Amino acid sequence: MTLANVTQFRVPSRPASASLPVAVEAASDHELMIAVRAGEIRRLGDLFERYHKPLYGFFVRLTNQPSVGEDLVQIVFYRILKYRHTYRDEGKFSAWIYHLARKVAADHFRKHASTPTPTDPVDLHGQPDAGPQPSEQAAAAEDVVLLRSALARLPLEHREVLVLSRLQHLEHKEIAKLLDCSVGAVKVRAHRALKELREVYFKIRKEKAA
Amino acid sequence: MNCQRVQDNFIDYQDGSLPADESAQLRAHLANCPACQREWAALQEMTRKLDSLPAAEPSPRLRENFYAMLETHQREADAPSPFALARGRIDRFFAALLPGQPALQFAFALALLIGGLFAGQHYLAKPAVIADDAAKAELAALKAQVNSMSELVTYSLLQQQSTSDRLQTVLAKMDLKSPDRKVLTDLVGALAFDPSINVRLTAVEALAQHSDDSLVRAGVLSALPRERAPLVQVAMIELLTDARDRAAEPVFEKLSRDEAVDLNVRDAARRALAVLRLPAASPSATLKPAAKPLLT
Repeated sequence: MTLANVTQFRVPSRPASASLPVAVEAASDHELMIAVRAGEIRRLGDLFERYHKPLYGFFVRLTNQPSVGEDLVQIVFYRILKYRHTYRDEGKFSAWIYHLARKVAADHFRKHASTPTPTDPVDLHGQPDAGPQPSEQAAAAEDVVLLRSALARLPLEHREVLVLSRLQHLEHKEIAKLLDCSVGAVKVRAHRALKELREVYFKIRKEKAA
Repeated sequence: MNCQRVQDNFIDYQDGSLPADESAQLRAHLANCPACQREWAALQEMTRKLDSLPAAEPSPRLRENFYAMLETHQREADAPSPFALARGRIDRFFAALLPGQPALQFAFALALLIGGLFAGQHYLAKPAVIADDAAKAELAALKAQVNSMSELVTYSLLQQQSTSDRLQTVLAKMDLKSPDRKVLTDLVGALAFDPSINVRLTAVEALAQHSDDSLVRAGVLSALPRERAPLVQVAMIELLTDARDRAAEPVFEKLSRDEAVDLNVRDAARRALAVLRLPAASPSATLKPAAKPLLT
């Protein structure tokens, strides 16, 4: 393997995606939330349009239960309304909403501690896959299922850091603030999580092949 | 740069946040280290797989539920509280009532002040000006009332002392040879208002020495109908009889007929009446023997 091959593989840190909150200016998020706080409740609709998909993705990846994800997103927005007076002027909306989301997820896990992450096969296969599936993409589709299973088997804290950094595209700095730890710790955790994900991934592939 | 350092920097290098010189070192190491190359490739592969994971799509139900909830909250936020509604109404009422311009407001306030001064002078000055005889008499009566009130207050204050203290006070006054009217008034007051029989009885004794004074006689006479203790009643009747006060006749008459009054008192009253109706031949000679047994 030459150096050229290796470096070509470099993945851009922030791949563009339609569902990203990054596409929106943070300042205007803040302005909207200030308006909501002042009583213009309907302005929350714009924030919903910007955030509900990433939040849904966050919950689905974290809980492995798409059916639960929608309820949790609803709870997050309910709590935004309920606690809108606590939103601070110097706050950053994305940080706040993920903070609320993590609490909602924690509440969910506490409530369902007896049945941890069931990885319901219906849930895993019920996901609409991106694009049509010609024969060439059939393998890719299977790969996605495999990866979801692997992700589901990771411990929660590793899964969370991967979801936040690779799927929610939060900066390491933001994640560090959210998880209340140093940026270095987030990077170490992300690296370990990636390694672990790879091990689990290949283990599952071996199991399936066998 | 060893392999551990290099692999620790992978995440930063992947992000593009590794400084240029360290990135160069990392690339140099990667070119010569197969182990790190494998590690790097694996990391890249997993990252790419993760990034290509299709975004989960929520169902339309989520949006519907959200907007339903939003509408409920907006309505709640819009609904003004009844208090705010009333407040707004009151504010509007006053806004309509009062002039809006500052100059007019000032003029309005000034007019109100002058009007108030006029009204005050017109109506409040009158009572001070009136000073005819009827008013004077009324004023005197009022003053007298106030005075008697203050006396009452004095007696009620007196009552706060112990019985023996009050007794001492009365006894001290007894010894005065020529007491002034103030002392006599105090004694009559004690007779009329003191709650203790002993004090009242002593007061009667003290007053007996001054029964020639019309004030004393009038005071005892007015206190008699109120008196309830037979012992004191008898002493008072004796005093009045000694003084041969004919004004006491109706009171004695009433007492002698009153069934509720003690038998001894009625008896004393009857005898006193008899004495009073006698011709005033030799008061001291005839009275003393008749009065003496009454006390015993």
